[in-house]
Amino acid sequence: MSTANTVLLVVSALLALGGAVGTIAAARPLRAALALLVNIVALAGVFLSLHAQFLAMVQLIVYAGAVVVLFVFVIMMVGATGKVPRSPRGLATKTVSLVVMSVVSLVLVFGVAYVSMPAAHLPHGYGTVEGLGAVLFTQAAVPFELVSITLLVAVVGALAVARGRTPKEAAEARARRAAEGLEADARLAEERRISAEVSAHGGH
Amino acid sequence: MNAWLLVAPLGVLAFAGLGIMLIDAFSPGRAELAGVTTTALLMAGLISVVALLSGVDPGELPRSLRAFIAVDHAGLYFDVVICAGAALSALLAGGYLKEHHLERGEYYVLLIFSALGAMILARAVDLITLFIGLETMSLGVYCMIAYRRTSIRATEGALKYFLLGSFAAAILLFGTALIYGATGHTDLAGIGNVLAAGGADARLVLLALALIVVGLAFKVSAVPFHMWTPDAYEGAPTPTTTFMAVAVKTAGFAIMLRMLITAFGDPLSASPETGWPPLIAGIAILSMIYGNVAGLAQTSVKRMLAYSSIAHAGYILVAVAVSYAAREQAIASVLYYLLAYTVSNVLAFGSLILLGSRGKEAVTYEDLAGAGRRHPLAALPLVIGVLSLMGFPPTAGFFAKYYVLTTALSIGGGMVWVAIILVLSSALGAYYYLKVIVFLFMKEPQAGAPKAVPMRSGYVAFALVLAGYFVIKMGVTPEPYLRMAVDAAQSFIS
Repeated sequence: MSTANTVLLVVSALLALGGAVGTIAAARPLRAALALLVNIVALAGVFLSLHAQFLAMVQLIVYAGAVVVLFVFVIMMVGATGKVPRSPRGLATKTVSLVVMSVVSLVLVFGVAYVSMPAAHLPHGYGTVEGLGAVLFTQAAVPFELVSITLLVAVVGALAVARGRTPKEAAEARARRAAEGLEADARLAEERRISAEVSAHGGH
Repeated sequence: MNAWLLVAPLGVLAFAGLGIMLIDAFSPGRAELAGVTTTALLMAGLISVVALLSGVDPGELPRSLRAFIAVDHAGLYFDVVICAGAALSALLAGGYLKEHHLERGEYYVLLIFSALGAMILARAVDLITLFIGLETMSLGVYCMIAYRRTSIRATEGALKYFLLGSFAAAILLFGTALIYGATGHTDLAGIGNVLAAGGADARLVLLALALIVVGLAFKVSAVPFHMWTPDAYEGAPTPTTTFMAVAVKTAGFAIMLRMLITAFGDPLSASPETGWPPLIAGIAILSMIYGNVAGLAQTSVKRMLAYSSIAHAGYILVAVAVSYAAREQAIASVLYYLLAYTVSNVLAFGSLILLGSRGKEAVTYEDLAGAGRRHPLAALPLVIGVLSLMGFPPTAGFFAKYYVLTTALSIGGGMVWVAIILVLSSALGAYYYLKVIVFLFMKEPQAGAPKAVPMRSGYVAFALVLAGYFVIKMGVTPEPYLRMAVDAAQSFIS
């Protein structure tokens, strides 16, 4: 790995880490979204340092260009300017989870840092549009087709969860509300009758 | 016979899913989608059975296909179990969704694609297909839980499952990235070869193994990764709960076996002292004890069945833990257990659906009070279902537990203690299963309490008859099913 490459990797990785922490630590939704943008752009830098040029470009276009913009749109639209409410969890829970997660992270970091990995042999055209396309449509055609089903499920699922009430459901909800209203009226009338009776018999 | 028969079940489901979307788009609300979905799933299952029996040579299939999707007998066996579970869930949905005015086409599309995802996961022989299958299955299930939009509980369960599920998937993905880094392979067989040759750093391999086991333990709802289970099971529409308990669990165990035996089958990773067997056995012990103890305290039958599913994950994990030694026997007992568990669960959940009607769902023990005497025919499947889950002869559940137990005992050593825990904890679990029967037949509803009124549905009745037949059949003559399981287990060993 050349020096320039190492510098790119270290800077991008630190930025990505900072962005990730900022995303979950920011109290305002908009700041969290912008921190996510930093994380995503920095990750594109990490990909570049690994010779995955096409992936870096896709990362920028899809995530930075589309996903984060979508997040920002939604935040602006629903007007989520307020701060995130403080977590109701106690100090003990927070400390325990912090310790556990730190131990797990440190084990992972040291586990990965001092091991020898086989040096990867980069095939010709690795990371370019051409190279990726060739792999995708020759060797990995099956998973490529299967991913389309995953995306289809996501679309149908979003539709199923987010769509409005059907006319039948809406009619039912109206009927239920009306029935509840009638019930409340009846209860009120009953109460009036009882109180009238009580006052009529007065003093018993 | 044509070799494409081996992957035809996947194709049938993919096209059926697209077909149902088209039918729903062009004639909304008119077609009997539950019937279409069930037919497609049963057809896929039937093709798998035919392929299992015919002994097709998979060599004719293109290499690029075999590199990602298993075409062995184990894959076909899992197809049968998943298709059966999904078809029975679709039948239950046909009754349930109509009764509760939730009938919309999306549900069946999600169900059929989730089943397809589960089958891809169960057949994955490459880390890439593993992740695609996992996500396809999970995305569908998340949405099927959140399907009843007006219910806060459904939304809560779905969101919990979604967040924790994404987290678990990320952990699994991290593990797969590490094992790729350690071995340079994404195919399970290639990973297994490198590990067996000792060509990878042991620390990295164990780390990857631990992360992958955590990710998979989450999917089969084993302790301590079970937190989402009760809420998701209770909040989901009951047919979704059924699907989660049968198909998702089957796929989870299928890929766990493939991972542990094909990829991590080397002497170091599978060492009974420092490898995955003690890890899995520990998770199994925790699941059996926690599932059964927490199950005792429940007032909701649906929630009780969620804890029972945690306990059953523990029983199955006992067999997985010994699969490093008594390979054929252990794997076959896992496979048999999954089939028995599928039909028993459909019986229990299906009967719970049948005993409730719109606005009067049977969810708690109190709802069931006296229902057995008022509606004996609707309650009978529930009785058989809980008896089978309990492991009472002559039901499918008895032989399932029996095979796991004998396998664990045949290893000896520490596994004897695990077997003892299995017996004791299932004895504990008998209490909450029998409580269902006590409430059905020996209690009366409290004065003024709403009584559950059974619904009428040909779909649910058909599912119950089908599941009930197999629960009894597998309990009286288990041999043919066990032979099928042993035959499928062979494909892990070669």
